[in-house]
Amino acid sequence: MDRRTYLKSGAGAATGLLLAGCVGGTGGSGGETETITIGSDIPYRPFEYETESGELTGFDVEIAQAVFEEEMGLDYEFQKTSFDGIIQSLNNGNFRVIMSAMTITDDRDEQVDFSDPYFTAYQTIVVLNDSDIDERSDLKGTSVGVQKGTTGAGAAEGLKEEFDGDLTLKKFDQINGAFNALINNQVVAVINDNTVNAEFVANNDNVRFVEGEGEAAAQGKNAPPYLTLTVEEYGIAFREDDDDFREEVNDALAAIRDSGAYEEIYANYFSG
Amino acid sequence: MAGSYSGAATAEGDPEADGDVGPAVSDRTVRRIGVGISVAFAAAVLAMLAFILVINPRSRVDPDLLVTIVPRFFEAWLLVLGIFLAGSVSSVFFGIFVGLGRVSNSSITNSIASVYVEFFRGTPLLFQLIVIFFGIPALWPPGAFPIENFAVPAAIIGLTLNHAAYVGEAIRGGIGSVPDGQMEAARSLGMSYVQSMREVVLPQAWRNALAAIGNDQVILVKDTSLLTVIAVPELISEFRDVNSATFDPWTPIVLVAVAYLGITLPLGKAVRYLEARSDWGGDDR
Repeated sequence: MDRRTYLKSGAGAATGLLLAGCVGGTGGSGGETETITIGSDIPYRPFEYETESGELTGFDVEIAQAVFEEEMGLDYEFQKTSFDGIIQSLNNGNFRVIMSAMTITDDRDEQVDFSDPYFTAYQTIVVLNDSDIDERSDLKGTSVGVQKGTTGAGAAEGLKEEFDGDLTLKKFDQINGAFNALINNQVVAVINDNTVNAEFVANNDNVRFVEGEGEAAAQGKNAPPYLTLTVEEYGIAFREDDDDFREEVNDALAAIRDSGAYEEIYANYFSG
Repeated sequence: MAGSYSGAATAEGDPEADGDVGPAVSDRTVRRIGVGISVAFAAAVLAMLAFILVINPRSRVDPDLLVTIVPRFFEAWLLVLGIFLAGSVSSVFFGIFVGLGRVSNSSITNSIASVYVEFFRGTPLLFQLIVIFFGIPALWPPGAFPIENFAVPAAIIGLTLNHAAYVGEAIRGGIGSVPDGQMEAARSLGMSYVQSMREVVLPQAWRNALAAIGNDQVILVKDTSLLTVIAVPELISEFRDVNSATFDPWTPIVLVAVAYLGITLPLGKAVRYLEARSDWGGDDR
Protein backbone atom coordinates (compact mmCIF):
# COMPACT_ATOMS: atom_id res chain seq x y z
CA MET A 1 0.00 0.00 0.00
CA ASP A 2 2.79 2.38 0.88
CA ARG A 3 4.33 2.06 -2.53
CA ARG A 4 1.06 2.82 -4.25
CA THR A 5 0.49 5.96 -2.25
CA TYR A 6 4.01 7.03 -3.10
CA LEU A 7 3.40 6.42 -6.81
CA LYS A 8 0.13 8.29 -6.72
CA SER A 9 1.60 11.31 -5.01
CA GLY A 10 4.54 11.18 -7.41
CA ALA A 11 2.23 11.19 -10.40
CA GLY A 12 0.22 13.99 -8.86
CA ALA A 13 3.33 16.07 -8.33
CA ALA A 14 4.47 15.45 -11.92
CA THR A 15 1.06 16.47 -13.28
CA GLY A 16 1.16 19.58 -11.13
CA LEU A 17 4.57 20.52 -12.49
CA LEU A 18 3.41 19.96 -16.06
CA LEU A 19 0.36 22.14 -15.51
CA ALA A 20 2.48 24.83 -13.89
CA GLY A 21 4.78 24.70 -16.90
CA CYS A 22 1.88 25.21 -19.30
CA VAL A 23 0.41 28.04 -17.31
CA GLY A 24 3.82 29.70 -16.97
CA GLY A 25 4.37 29.35 -20.72
CA THR A 26 1.20 31.10 -21.75
CA GLY A 27 1.48 33.73 -19.04
CA GLY A 28 5.00 34.65 -20.13
CA SER A 29 4.26 35.39 -23.76
CA GLY A 30 1.06 37.29 -23.15
CA GLY A 31 2.29 40.83 -22.65
CA GLU A 32 5.33 40.97 -24.92
CA THR A 33 5.58 41.70 -28.63
CA GLU A 34 4.69 38.90 -30.97
CA THR A 35 7.49 36.54 -31.94
CA ILE A 36 7.56 35.36 -35.55
CA THR A 37 8.93 31.84 -35.81
CA ILE A 38 10.81 31.26 -39.04
CA GLY A 39 11.36 27.76 -40.35
CA SER A 40 14.71 27.30 -42.03
CA ASP A 41 17.02 24.52 -43.11
CA ILE A 42 20.25 25.47 -41.38
CA PRO A 43 23.10 25.36 -42.47
CA TYR A 44 22.77 26.64 -46.02
CA ARG A 45 25.70 28.95 -46.36
CA PRO A 46 25.62 31.91 -47.05
CA PHE A 47 21.85 32.23 -46.50
CA GLU A 48 21.62 30.76 -43.04
CA TYR A 49 24.46 29.25 -41.09
CA GLU A 50 26.11 29.36 -37.71
CA THR A 51 29.51 30.90 -37.14
CA GLU A 52 32.15 28.92 -35.25
CA SER A 53 30.92 30.46 -32.02
CA GLY A 54 27.39 29.26 -32.74
CA GLU A 55 25.88 32.60 -33.74
CA LEU A 56 23.23 32.34 -36.45
CA THR A 57 23.92 34.58 -39.40
CA GLY A 58 23.48 34.78 -43.17
CA PHE A 59 21.58 36.68 -45.85
CA ASP A 60 18.14 35.40 -44.85
CA VAL A 61 18.86 36.06 -41.20
CA GLU A 62 19.80 39.69 -41.84
CA ILE A 63 16.83 40.19 -44.15
CA ALA A 64 14.60 38.75 -41.42
CA GLN A 65 16.11 41.17 -38.95
CA ALA A 66 15.56 44.12 -41.32
CA VAL A 67 12.01 43.10 -42.21
CA PHE A 68 10.57 41.77 -38.98
CA GLU A 69 12.52 43.61 -36.32
CA GLU A 70 13.44 46.94 -37.86
CA GLU A 71 10.51 47.52 -40.21
CA MET A 72 7.64 45.75 -38.45
CA GLY A 73 8.79 45.91 -34.83
CA LEU A 74 8.33 42.21 -34.20
CA ASP A 75 10.58 39.68 -32.53
CA TYR A 76 11.72 36.80 -34.68
CA GLU A 77 13.38 33.47 -34.07
CA PHE A 78 14.69 30.85 -36.44
CA GLN A 79 13.71 27.23 -36.07
CA LYS A 80 15.81 24.50 -37.64
CA THR A 81 13.97 22.05 -39.84
CA SER A 82 14.71 19.75 -42.74
CA PHE A 83 14.14 21.18 -46.20
CA ASP A 84 12.32 18.25 -47.78
CA GLY A 85 9.42 18.49 -45.34
CA ILE A 86 9.50 22.23 -44.77
CA ILE A 87 6.23 23.14 -46.54
CA GLN A 88 4.20 20.54 -44.68
CA SER A 89 5.87 21.64 -41.47
CA LEU A 90 4.67 25.20 -42.17
CA ASN A 91 1.14 24.03 -42.95
CA ASN A 92 1.15 21.88 -39.80
CA GLY A 93 1.73 25.06 -37.80
CA ASN A 94 5.28 24.46 -36.63
CA PHE A 95 6.29 28.00 -37.59
CA ARG A 96 4.73 31.14 -39.09
CA VAL A 97 6.83 31.60 -42.25
CA ILE A 98 9.64 29.94 -44.19
CA MET A 99 12.85 31.79 -44.95
CA SER A 100 15.19 29.16 -46.28
CA ALA A 101 16.49 30.39 -49.64
CA MET A 102 13.28 28.94 -51.01
CA THR A 103 12.60 29.16 -54.72
CA ILE A 104 9.09 30.11 -55.78
CA THR A 105 7.73 27.26 -57.90
CA ASP A 106 4.24 26.52 -59.18
CA ASP A 107 4.06 23.25 -57.25
CA ARG A 108 5.03 24.91 -54.02
CA ASP A 109 2.69 27.83 -54.73
CA GLU A 110 -0.25 25.43 -54.66
CA GLN A 111 0.55 24.55 -51.06
CA VAL A 112 1.63 27.92 -49.66
CA ASP A 113 1.64 31.60 -50.62
CA PHE A 114 4.87 33.42 -51.39
CA SER A 115 5.95 36.98 -50.70
CA ASP A 116 7.32 39.10 -53.51
CA PRO A 117 10.66 37.70 -54.69
CA TYR A 118 13.62 38.91 -52.66
CA PHE A 119 16.47 37.16 -54.45
CA THR A 120 17.35 35.77 -57.88
CA ALA A 121 19.30 32.55 -58.09
CA TYR A 122 20.51 30.11 -60.71
CA GLN A 123 21.05 26.37 -60.62
CA THR A 124 24.71 25.73 -61.29
CA ILE A 125 27.15 22.83 -61.49
CA VAL A 126 30.26 22.48 -59.34
CA VAL A 127 32.96 19.91 -60.12
CA LEU A 128 36.48 19.11 -58.93
CA ASN A 129 39.25 21.25 -60.46
CA ASP A 130 40.73 18.39 -62.48
CA SER A 131 37.35 17.13 -63.69
CA ASP A 132 36.82 16.68 -67.42
CA ILE A 133 33.26 18.00 -67.23
CA ASP A 134 33.08 21.22 -69.22
CA GLU A 135 29.47 21.42 -70.37
CA ARG A 136 26.12 20.03 -69.33
CA SER A 137 26.16 17.13 -71.83
CA ASP A 138 29.37 15.83 -70.23
CA LEU A 139 27.31 14.90 -67.18
CA LYS A 140 25.58 12.07 -69.07
CA GLY A 141 26.32 8.72 -67.47
CA THR A 142 27.77 10.20 -64.29
CA SER A 143 26.41 10.68 -60.79
CA VAL A 144 25.54 14.06 -59.30
CA GLY A 145 24.93 15.10 -55.72
CA VAL A 146 21.93 17.21 -54.71
CA GLN A 147 19.94 18.06 -51.61
CA LYS A 148 16.60 16.34 -51.04
CA GLY A 149 13.57 18.36 -52.07
CA THR A 150 15.49 21.31 -53.53
CA THR A 151 15.15 22.91 -56.95
CA GLY A 152 18.70 21.66 -57.53
CA ALA A 153 17.32 18.14 -57.22
CA GLY A 154 14.55 19.19 -59.62
CA ALA A 155 17.07 20.53 -62.13
CA ALA A 156 19.03 17.29 -61.87
CA GLU A 157 15.84 15.28 -62.47
CA GLY A 158 15.34 17.45 -65.57
CA LEU A 159 18.85 16.60 -66.78
CA LYS A 160 18.18 12.94 -66.11
CA GLU A 161 15.13 13.07 -68.38
CA GLU A 162 17.16 14.91 -70.98
CA PHE A 163 19.76 12.09 -70.87
CA ASP A 164 17.04 9.39 -71.09
CA GLY A 165 17.67 8.34 -67.50
CA ASP A 166 21.43 8.04 -67.91
CA LEU A 167 22.28 10.05 -64.80
CA THR A 168 22.49 8.88 -61.18
CA LEU A 169 21.17 11.24 -58.50
CA LYS A 170 22.48 11.00 -54.97
CA LYS A 171 20.20 12.93 -52.67
CA PHE A 172 21.58 14.14 -49.36
CA ASP A 173 19.79 15.56 -46.34
CA GLN A 174 21.83 18.73 -46.43
CA ILE A 175 23.91 20.35 -49.13
CA ASN A 176 27.08 19.79 -47.11
CA GLY A 177 26.60 16.05 -47.59
CA ALA A 178 26.64 16.55 -51.36
CA PHE A 179 29.73 18.78 -51.14
CA ASN A 180 31.47 16.15 -49.00
CA ALA A 181 30.52 13.48 -51.51
CA LEU A 182 32.09 15.56 -54.30
CA ILE A 183 35.34 15.90 -52.38
CA ASN A 184 35.21 12.19 -51.44
CA ASN A 185 34.82 11.03 -55.04
CA GLN A 186 31.26 9.77 -54.57
CA VAL A 187 29.73 12.11 -57.15
CA VAL A 188 31.36 13.94 -60.06
CA ALA A 189 29.28 17.10 -59.72
CA VAL A 190 26.95 18.96 -57.36
CA ILE A 191 23.93 20.82 -58.72
CA ASN A 192 22.75 23.62 -56.48
CA ASP A 193 22.00 27.33 -56.16
CA ASN A 194 24.76 29.56 -57.59
CA THR A 195 25.39 31.61 -54.46
CA VAL A 196 25.73 28.60 -52.19
CA ASN A 197 27.97 26.90 -54.73
CA ALA A 198 29.99 30.11 -55.05
CA GLU A 199 30.56 30.18 -51.30
CA PHE A 200 31.75 26.56 -51.45
CA VAL A 201 34.05 27.30 -54.41
CA ALA A 202 35.43 30.37 -52.63
CA ASN A 203 36.21 28.37 -49.49
CA ASN A 204 37.67 25.36 -51.26
CA ASP A 205 40.65 25.38 -53.61
CA ASN A 206 39.85 22.01 -55.15
CA VAL A 207 36.53 22.78 -56.84
CA ARG A 208 35.30 25.00 -59.67
CA PHE A 209 32.13 25.96 -61.50
CA VAL A 210 31.28 24.46 -64.87
CA GLU A 211 31.42 27.55 -67.08
CA GLY A 212 29.46 28.57 -70.13
CA GLU A 213 26.27 30.33 -71.07
CA GLY A 214 22.98 28.90 -69.99
CA GLU A 215 19.44 29.72 -69.08
CA ALA A 216 20.28 33.10 -67.57
CA ALA A 217 21.88 34.33 -70.79
CA ALA A 218 19.00 32.87 -72.81
CA GLN A 219 16.56 34.91 -70.74
CA GLY A 220 18.65 38.03 -71.24
CA LYS A 221 19.48 38.39 -67.55
CA ASN A 222 22.69 39.83 -66.26
CA ALA A 223 24.30 36.41 -66.53
CA PRO A 224 27.09 35.19 -64.26
CA PRO A 225 30.17 33.63 -65.93
CA TYR A 226 29.20 30.07 -65.02
CA LEU A 227 26.73 27.74 -66.69
CA THR A 228 23.19 28.25 -65.42
CA LEU A 229 20.59 25.49 -65.68
CA THR A 230 17.59 27.48 -64.44
CA VAL A 231 16.70 30.94 -63.23
CA GLU A 232 14.76 31.07 -59.97
CA GLU A 233 13.46 33.56 -57.48
CA TYR A 234 13.38 33.18 -53.72
CA GLY A 235 10.37 34.13 -51.68
CA ILE A 236 9.22 34.01 -48.07
CA ALA A 237 6.52 31.34 -47.74
CA PHE A 238 3.30 31.88 -45.77
CA ARG A 239 0.33 29.68 -44.99
CA GLU A 240 -2.49 30.33 -47.41
CA ASP A 241 -4.73 31.84 -44.74
CA ASP A 242 -2.12 34.40 -43.73
CA ASP A 243 -2.74 37.05 -46.41
CA ASP A 244 -2.77 40.14 -44.18
CA PHE A 245 0.57 39.29 -42.68
CA ARG A 246 1.96 38.53 -46.13
CA GLU A 247 0.91 41.96 -47.40
CA GLU A 248 2.61 43.61 -44.43
CA VAL A 249 5.80 41.68 -45.10
CA ASN A 250 5.67 42.62 -48.79
CA ASP A 251 5.44 46.29 -47.77
CA ALA A 252 8.38 45.83 -45.42
CA LEU A 253 10.41 44.14 -48.17
CA ALA A 254 9.71 47.07 -50.49
CA ALA A 255 10.65 49.46 -47.70
CA ILE A 256 14.07 47.90 -47.11
CA ARG A 257 14.75 48.01 -50.85
CA ASP A 258 13.88 51.73 -50.87
CA SER A 259 15.90 52.54 -47.78
CA GLY A 260 19.05 50.89 -49.12
CA ALA A 261 19.15 48.35 -46.28
CA TYR A 262 18.65 45.54 -48.78
CA GLU A 263 21.59 46.69 -50.92
CA GLU A 264 23.79 46.87 -47.85
CA ILE A 265 22.95 43.33 -46.76
CA TYR A 266 23.31 42.07 -50.32
CA ALA A 267 26.77 43.61 -50.64
CA ASN A 268 27.78 41.97 -47.36
CA TYR A 269 27.25 38.52 -48.75
CA PHE A 270 27.49 38.74 -52.52
CA SER A 271 30.21 41.14 -53.52
CA GLY A 272 30.59 39.74 -57.03
CA MET B 1 -0.37 -25.11 -21.98
CA ALA B 2 -1.14 -21.53 -21.06
CA GLY B 3 -4.85 -22.18 -21.51
CA SER B 4 -4.98 -24.90 -18.90
CA TYR B 5 -3.41 -22.66 -16.25
CA SER B 6 -5.94 -19.90 -16.62
CA GLY B 7 -8.76 -22.43 -16.99
CA ALA B 8 -7.92 -24.11 -13.70
CA ALA B 9 -7.57 -20.83 -11.86
CA THR B 10 -10.85 -19.52 -13.24
CA ALA B 11 -12.69 -22.65 -12.28
CA GLU B 12 -11.50 -22.55 -8.68
CA GLY B 13 -11.69 -18.82 -8.07
CA ASP B 14 -9.81 -19.34 -4.80
CA PRO B 15 -7.61 -16.68 -3.19
CA GLU B 16 -3.84 -16.91 -3.54
CA ALA B 17 -2.08 -19.29 -1.14
CA ASP B 18 -0.54 -16.60 1.08
CA GLY B 19 -3.48 -14.16 1.20
CA ASP B 20 -6.04 -14.29 3.96
CA VAL B 21 -8.64 -12.33 1.99
CA GLY B 22 -10.04 -13.03 -1.48
CA PRO B 23 -8.65 -11.14 -4.48
CA ALA B 24 -10.29 -7.78 -5.19
CA VAL B 25 -11.31 -8.89 -8.67
CA SER B 26 -11.81 -12.42 -9.86
CA ASP B 27 -9.73 -13.90 -12.65
CA ARG B 28 -12.79 -14.01 -14.83
CA THR B 29 -13.35 -10.28 -14.47
CA VAL B 30 -9.71 -9.54 -15.32
CA ARG B 31 -10.04 -11.73 -18.37
CA ARG B 32 -13.15 -9.90 -19.50
CA ILE B 33 -11.55 -6.50 -18.92
CA GLY B 34 -8.55 -7.64 -20.95
CA VAL B 35 -10.72 -8.77 -23.85
CA GLY B 36 -12.70 -5.53 -23.65
CA ILE B 37 -9.62 -3.32 -23.69
CA SER B 38 -7.97 -5.19 -26.57
CA VAL B 39 -11.14 -5.19 -28.68
CA ALA B 40 -11.63 -1.47 -28.00
CA PHE B 41 -8.01 -0.83 -28.97
CA ALA B 42 -8.32 -2.79 -32.21
CA ALA B 43 -11.56 -1.02 -33.06
CA ALA B 44 -9.95 2.37 -32.43
CA VAL B 45 -7.00 1.49 -34.67
CA LEU B 46 -9.28 0.25 -37.44
CA ALA B 47 -11.45 3.34 -37.18
CA MET B 48 -8.36 5.54 -37.38
CA LEU B 49 -7.07 3.65 -40.42
CA ALA B 50 -10.46 3.90 -42.11
CA PHE B 51 -10.54 7.61 -41.35
CA ILE B 52 -7.02 8.16 -42.69
CA LEU B 53 -7.19 5.97 -45.76
CA VAL B 54 -10.82 6.26 -46.85
CA ILE B 55 -12.97 8.87 -45.15
CA ASN B 56 -10.80 11.96 -44.64
CA PRO B 57 -10.38 13.63 -48.04
CA ARG B 58 -7.16 15.43 -47.06
CA SER B 59 -5.21 12.26 -46.37
CA ARG B 60 -6.71 9.90 -48.88
CA VAL B 61 -4.34 7.57 -50.66
CA ASP B 62 -4.12 8.56 -54.32
CA PRO B 63 -4.39 5.41 -56.47
CA ASP B 64 -2.83 7.06 -59.54
CA LEU B 65 0.19 8.23 -57.59
CA LEU B 66 0.39 4.85 -55.89
CA VAL B 67 0.70 3.09 -59.23
CA THR B 68 3.25 5.61 -60.44
CA ILE B 69 5.55 5.26 -57.46
CA VAL B 70 5.32 1.51 -56.88
CA PRO B 71 8.27 0.67 -59.22
CA ARG B 72 10.70 2.99 -57.45
CA PHE B 73 9.60 1.71 -54.05
CA PHE B 74 10.06 -1.84 -55.28
CA GLU B 75 13.59 -0.95 -56.39
CA ALA B 76 14.25 0.60 -52.98
CA TRP B 77 12.80 -2.49 -51.32
CA LEU B 78 15.14 -4.75 -53.26
CA LEU B 79 18.07 -2.58 -52.24
CA VAL B 80 17.04 -2.70 -48.57
CA LEU B 81 16.60 -6.46 -48.82
CA GLY B 82 20.07 -6.83 -50.35
CA ILE B 83 21.70 -4.62 -47.73
CA PHE B 84 19.85 -6.50 -44.99
CA LEU B 85 20.91 -9.93 -46.31
CA ALA B 86 24.56 -8.89 -46.63
CA GLY B 87 24.54 -7.15 -43.24
CA SER B 88 22.69 -10.01 -41.59
CA VAL B 89 25.00 -12.79 -42.79
CA SER B 90 28.17 -10.89 -41.99
CA SER B 91 26.96 -9.53 -38.64
CA VAL B 92 25.99 -13.02 -37.43
CA PHE B 93 29.25 -14.47 -38.76
CA PHE B 94 31.46 -11.87 -37.11
CA GLY B 95 29.17 -11.70 -34.09
CA ILE B 96 29.93 -15.34 -33.27
CA PHE B 97 33.62 -14.49 -33.09
CA VAL B 98 32.91 -11.40 -31.01
CA GLY B 99 30.92 -13.60 -28.62
CA LEU B 100 33.72 -16.17 -28.46
CA GLY B 101 36.18 -13.34 -27.83
CA ARG B 102 34.01 -12.14 -24.95
CA VAL B 103 34.20 -15.54 -23.22
CA SER B 104 37.86 -16.09 -24.10
CA ASN B 105 40.23 -17.10 -21.31
CA SER B 106 42.93 -14.93 -22.83
CA SER B 107 42.74 -11.54 -21.18
CA ILE B 108 44.01 -9.81 -24.34
CA THR B 109 41.32 -11.27 -26.64
CA ASN B 110 38.73 -10.77 -23.96
CA SER B 111 39.48 -7.12 -23.34
CA ILE B 112 39.75 -6.25 -27.04
CA ALA B 113 36.37 -7.90 -27.67
CA SER B 114 34.95 -6.01 -24.70
CA VAL B 115 36.23 -2.65 -25.96
CA TYR B 116 34.80 -3.44 -29.40
CA VAL B 117 31.37 -4.21 -27.97
CA GLU B 118 31.38 -1.21 -25.67
CA PHE B 119 32.30 1.16 -28.51
CA PHE B 120 29.84 -0.11 -31.10
CA ARG B 121 27.06 -0.53 -28.59
CA GLY B 122 27.88 2.74 -26.89
CA THR B 123 27.75 5.01 -29.92
CA PRO B 124 24.75 5.49 -32.22
CA LEU B 125 24.66 3.65 -35.53
CA LEU B 126 24.01 6.99 -37.23
CA PHE B 127 27.29 8.31 -35.83
CA GLN B 128 29.13 5.20 -37.05
CA LEU B 129 27.64 5.60 -40.53
CA ILE B 130 28.73 9.24 -40.64
CA VAL B 131 32.26 8.27 -39.57
CA ILE B 132 32.49 5.61 -42.26
CA PHE B 133 30.85 7.52 -45.11
CA PHE B 134 32.02 11.08 -44.46
CA GLY B 135 35.02 10.55 -42.20
CA ILE B 136 37.04 7.76 -43.77
CA PRO B 137 37.09 9.07 -47.40
CA ALA B 138 38.19 12.50 -46.13
CA LEU B 139 41.54 10.92 -45.20
CA TRP B 140 42.36 10.87 -48.94
CA PRO B 141 43.13 14.05 -50.92
CA PRO B 142 40.09 15.56 -52.68
CA GLY B 143 38.80 13.30 -55.43
CA ALA B 144 41.35 10.57 -54.71
CA PHE B 145 39.22 8.20 -52.64
CA PRO B 146 39.41 4.95 -54.65
CA ILE B 147 35.94 3.46 -54.02
CA GLU B 148 33.17 5.01 -56.09
CA ASN B 149 29.59 4.45 -54.98
CA PHE B 150 30.82 3.98 -51.43
CA ALA B 151 27.38 4.53 -49.85
CA VAL B 152 26.15 0.93 -50.07
CA PRO B 153 29.48 -0.62 -48.97
CA ALA B 154 29.63 1.93 -46.15
CA ALA B 155 26.10 0.95 -45.14
CA ILE B 156 26.94 -2.75 -45.03
CA ILE B 157 30.18 -2.11 -43.13
CA GLY B 158 28.39 0.10 -40.61
CA LEU B 159 25.48 -2.28 -40.06
CA THR B 160 27.87 -5.22 -39.74
CA LEU B 161 30.17 -3.53 -37.22
CA ASN B 162 27.23 -2.35 -35.16
CA HIS B 163 25.16 -5.51 -35.18
CA ALA B 164 28.13 -7.84 -34.75
CA ALA B 165 28.48 -6.23 -31.32
CA TYR B 166 24.86 -7.02 -30.43
CA VAL B 167 25.00 -10.53 -31.89
CA GLY B 168 28.26 -11.05 -29.97
CA GLU B 169 26.52 -10.15 -26.73
CA ALA B 170 23.65 -12.52 -27.56
CA ILE B 171 26.15 -15.32 -28.22
CA ARG B 172 28.00 -14.54 -24.99
CA GLY B 173 24.70 -14.72 -23.12
CA GLY B 174 23.88 -17.99 -24.87
CA ILE B 175 27.24 -19.50 -23.92
CA GLY B 176 26.83 -18.24 -20.35
CA SER B 177 23.50 -20.02 -20.04
CA VAL B 178 25.00 -23.40 -20.94
CA PRO B 179 25.82 -25.09 -17.61
CA ASP B 180 29.56 -25.23 -16.79
CA GLY B 181 29.21 -28.99 -16.43
CA GLN B 182 28.82 -29.33 -20.19
CA MET B 183 32.24 -27.87 -20.86
CA GLU B 184 33.75 -29.80 -17.95
CA ALA B 185 32.25 -33.08 -19.15
CA ALA B 186 33.47 -32.52 -22.69
CA ARG B 187 36.97 -31.66 -21.47
CA SER B 188 37.06 -34.70 -19.20
CA LEU B 189 36.24 -36.87 -22.22
CA GLY B 190 39.51 -35.65 -23.70
CA MET B 191 38.15 -33.02 -26.08
CA SER B 192 40.19 -29.87 -26.55
CA TYR B 193 38.73 -26.47 -25.61
CA VAL B 194 37.97 -25.73 -29.28
CA GLN B 195 36.40 -29.14 -29.81
CA SER B 196 34.25 -28.84 -26.68
CA MET B 197 33.20 -25.36 -27.68
CA ARG B 198 32.32 -26.37 -31.23
CA GLU B 199 30.73 -29.73 -30.59
CA VAL B 200 29.10 -29.29 -27.21
CA VAL B 201 28.73 -25.73 -25.98
CA LEU B 202 28.04 -23.66 -29.12
CA PRO B 203 25.15 -25.81 -30.44
CA GLN B 204 23.38 -25.35 -27.10
CA ALA B 205 24.39 -21.70 -26.85
CA TRP B 206 23.03 -21.08 -30.35
CA ARG B 207 19.60 -22.26 -29.29
CA ASN B 208 19.66 -20.00 -26.26
CA ALA B 209 20.89 -17.03 -28.26
CA LEU B 210 18.57 -17.48 -31.23
CA ALA B 211 15.68 -15.37 -29.95
CA ALA B 212 17.99 -12.47 -29.14
CA ILE B 213 19.79 -12.75 -32.49
CA GLY B 214 16.51 -12.90 -34.39
CA ASN B 215 15.32 -9.84 -32.53
CA ASP B 216 18.53 -8.06 -33.46
CA GLN B 217 18.15 -8.95 -37.13
CA VAL B 218 14.67 -7.41 -37.19
CA ILE B 219 16.22 -4.27 -35.72
CA LEU B 220 18.86 -4.42 -38.46
CA VAL B 221 16.12 -4.24 -41.10
CA LYS B 222 14.68 -1.16 -39.44
CA ASP B 223 18.12 0.40 -39.00
CA THR B 224 18.46 0.59 -42.79
CA SER B 225 16.16 3.62 -42.53
CA LEU B 226 19.14 5.59 -41.18
CA LEU B 227 20.88 5.14 -44.53
CA THR B 228 18.81 8.02 -45.92
CA VAL B 229 21.43 10.29 -44.33
CA ILE B 230 24.23 8.89 -46.51
CA ALA B 231 22.09 9.18 -49.67
CA VAL B 232 21.34 5.48 -50.11
CA PRO B 233 18.09 5.43 -52.14
CA GLU B 234 16.29 3.23 -49.61
CA LEU B 235 12.64 3.38 -48.53
CA ILE B 236 12.72 6.46 -46.31
CA SER B 237 14.66 8.37 -48.98
CA GLU B 238 12.01 7.45 -51.52
CA PHE B 239 9.32 8.56 -49.11
CA ARG B 240 10.98 11.93 -48.58
CA ASP B 241 11.52 12.31 -52.29
CA VAL B 242 7.93 11.62 -53.25
CA ASN B 243 6.60 13.59 -50.32
CA SER B 244 8.64 16.69 -51.07
CA ALA B 245 7.64 16.59 -54.73
CA THR B 246 3.92 15.84 -54.33
CA PHE B 247 3.21 17.07 -50.76
CA ASP B 248 1.26 13.84 -50.34
CA PRO B 249 2.49 11.94 -47.27
CA TRP B 250 -0.07 9.15 -47.05
CA THR B 251 0.39 7.45 -50.39
CA PRO B 252 4.12 6.82 -49.87
CA ILE B 253 3.58 6.08 -46.15
CA VAL B 254 1.39 3.12 -47.07
CA LEU B 255 4.05 1.77 -49.42
CA VAL B 256 6.84 2.22 -46.87
CA ALA B 257 4.84 0.32 -44.25
CA VAL B 258 4.08 -2.51 -46.66
CA ALA B 259 7.71 -2.65 -47.79
CA TYR B 260 9.22 -2.90 -44.28
CA LEU B 261 6.64 -5.44 -43.13
CA GLY B 262 7.37 -7.35 -46.33
CA ILE B 263 10.81 -8.04 -44.89
CA THR B 264 10.24 -8.15 -41.13
CA LEU B 265 7.17 -10.44 -41.11
CA PRO B 266 8.80 -13.25 -43.15
CA LEU B 267 11.96 -12.73 -41.11
CA GLY B 268 10.01 -13.16 -37.87
CA LYS B 269 8.50 -16.35 -39.25
CA ALA B 270 11.93 -17.65 -40.26
CA VAL B 271 13.30 -16.94 -36.79
CA ARG B 272 10.37 -18.76 -35.15
CA TYR B 273 10.95 -21.71 -37.47
CA LEU B 274 14.64 -21.85 -36.54
CA GLU B 275 13.76 -21.56 -32.86
CA ALA B 276 11.24 -24.38 -33.12
CA ARG B 277 13.74 -26.54 -34.96
CA SER B 278 16.45 -26.06 -32.37
CA ASP B 279 14.11 -26.43 -29.37
CA TRP B 280 14.28 -29.45 -27.07
CA GLY B 281 12.54 -32.31 -28.86
CA GLY B 282 11.76 -29.90 -31.66
CA ASP B 283 12.10 -32.41 -34.47
CA ASP B 284 8.41 -33.15 -34.60
CA ARG B 285 7.35 -29.56 -35.23
